[in-house]
Amino acid sequence: MIRTYLLTGILLFSGLIATAVDDPQALIRAVNKKFMLVADYKANVAMQFQLPGVKMDQLSGQVFYKRPDKFRIKAKGLFFMPKQNPMQQVGKLLQDTASYTAVISGYETVQGRRCAMVNIIPLRQDMDLILGKFWIDVQTPLIYKSQITSKNNGTIESESQFGDMAAYALPSSMTIRLEMNKIKMPKMMAADLNKKSSSKPATIGKEKGSITMRFSSYVLNSRFPDKVFTEAVPE
Amino acid sequence: MSGGFKALVYNELIKTIRRPRSFIGFAVIFFVCILLQGAFYKDGKEILGFITQQVDTLFDVQGNAINGNLICFIILQSLIVQMPLLVALVTGDLISGETATGSVRFLLSRPAPRWQVVLAKWIAGMFYTSLLLIFLGVLALFGSHLIFGDGDLMYLNSEALTVIRANDMVWRWTGAFGIAFLSLSVVASLSTLLSAILDNSITPIVSVMAIIIIFTIIGMFDLPSFDPIKPFLFTTHMIAWRSFFEDPIPKGDIIFSAGVLLLHIIIFLGVSMYHYQRKDITA
Repeated sequence: MIRTYLLTGILLFSGLIATAVDDPQALIRAVNKKFMLVADYKANVAMQFQLPGVKMDQLSGQVFYKRPDKFRIKAKGLFFMPKQNPMQQVGKLLQDTASYTAVISGYETVQGRRCAMVNIIPLRQDMDLILGKFWIDVQTPLIYKSQITSKNNGTIESESQFGDMAAYALPSSMTIRLEMNKIKMPKMMAADLNKKSSSKPATIGKEKGSITMRFSSYVLNSRFPDKVFTEAVPE
Repeated sequence: MSGGFKALVYNELIKTIRRPRSFIGFAVIFFVCILLQGAFYKDGKEILGFITQQVDTLFDVQGNAINGNLICFIILQSLIVQMPLLVALVTGDLISGETATGSVRFLLSRPAPRWQVVLAKWIAGMFYTSLLLIFLGVLALFGSHLIFGDGDLMYLNSEALTVIRANDMVWRWTGAFGIAFLSLSVVASLSTLLSAILDNSITPIVSVMAIIIIFTIIGMFDLPSFDPIKPFLFTTHMIAWRSFFEDPIPKGDIIFSAGVLLLHIIIFLGVSMYHYQRKDITA
């Protein structure tokens, strides 16, 4: 009798887990619950750039975020940030649950974790988003990888690593990967008169690049003023 | 340095400074700098758009891109083509001007050997060149920093877009202005040589510009027939100042270019002194 109860209990429990794992809405709700814990944050950030045709040293600064999508990196120096920044967009995108339909298209292991591949398909034609793919760890649940394809900015991939701020879904590092044309300029326009043209054939099409951001010293929900998103950085 | 030679150099310096045409160079630099700085102040975003047009669709360029370093770089790049003319305008007339006006007889009646006269004039030419470059540096670098502030330099060449951090700029500018001085010194030495050979004022100035134009055109075209000649043309090495803004810095190329420029100066000056020592003065 006890064995029957035990077996029934185990079966019911595993059924519940299977339901949560296979239900994209439940996964997204769990992710959103973590996002909702953070109204704003600021943190130190160190950025590394590996972009085709761009030589740029590492740069440090401070990152500021306010829900739903105010985001800024303040740094003393020049840097490039993708117009479609996952740090800024993912939270807002997933929280608007009425604007998309979510489907789990399979499971993959990312950074040694079993992740559900949740596809987000927009319901409205006027949305910039074409398709969002999120690799969500079924245990934690955290977004370890994302791939957002939009009408204006093409496809941008990101991969996150989590540390002591995982409880708030805030990554310790994030790598944004994108494809872009290598920056090149005609020799005569660049006035590179003594440079010889490369003997290597020019790469046709796009090349892969990445921007890695390492975050530290997070300060959550400190209610900093909105002017940080607009004020100039003194050089 | 003997007292006589010192007096000769001093005399040449005074003569160079007092000539009205010496101020043309300063006026041109002042005018061009103010003109470009004013235009960049007004239309800077369009210039930035030209540099960043290849990344604009994908990225937001964040930070003060229109800054003193970028403006100085653009001014230097624009003026380095015209600077040889400003230098030749004065140095091309140093010796031939004396012949044309007849004052050469008085000059050569002094006890100093002729090669010392040429050397004194060359030193005066170098002094003028360095003053011109210092004036450009003050206006373009310090003036632009005053107007546009400090910031990272976004440098675009045919290979890549390089961003050089502001705290890494001082030694690069020092090196760049150093090479620019060597380049202009070659022009000054060449015009001194032509001025020693020719007897009228205009021909050496025009000849220097003609040589620079021809050499630059040869350097512009990436044709295999020109490849063996290019390393020997001083114009190829005159733009070596730009190499200080590459990452990594091509040290070997810069040293080679500096060597070639220095060799040109020595040869031009040596030939000028040798030729003038033996020249039959008929004026």
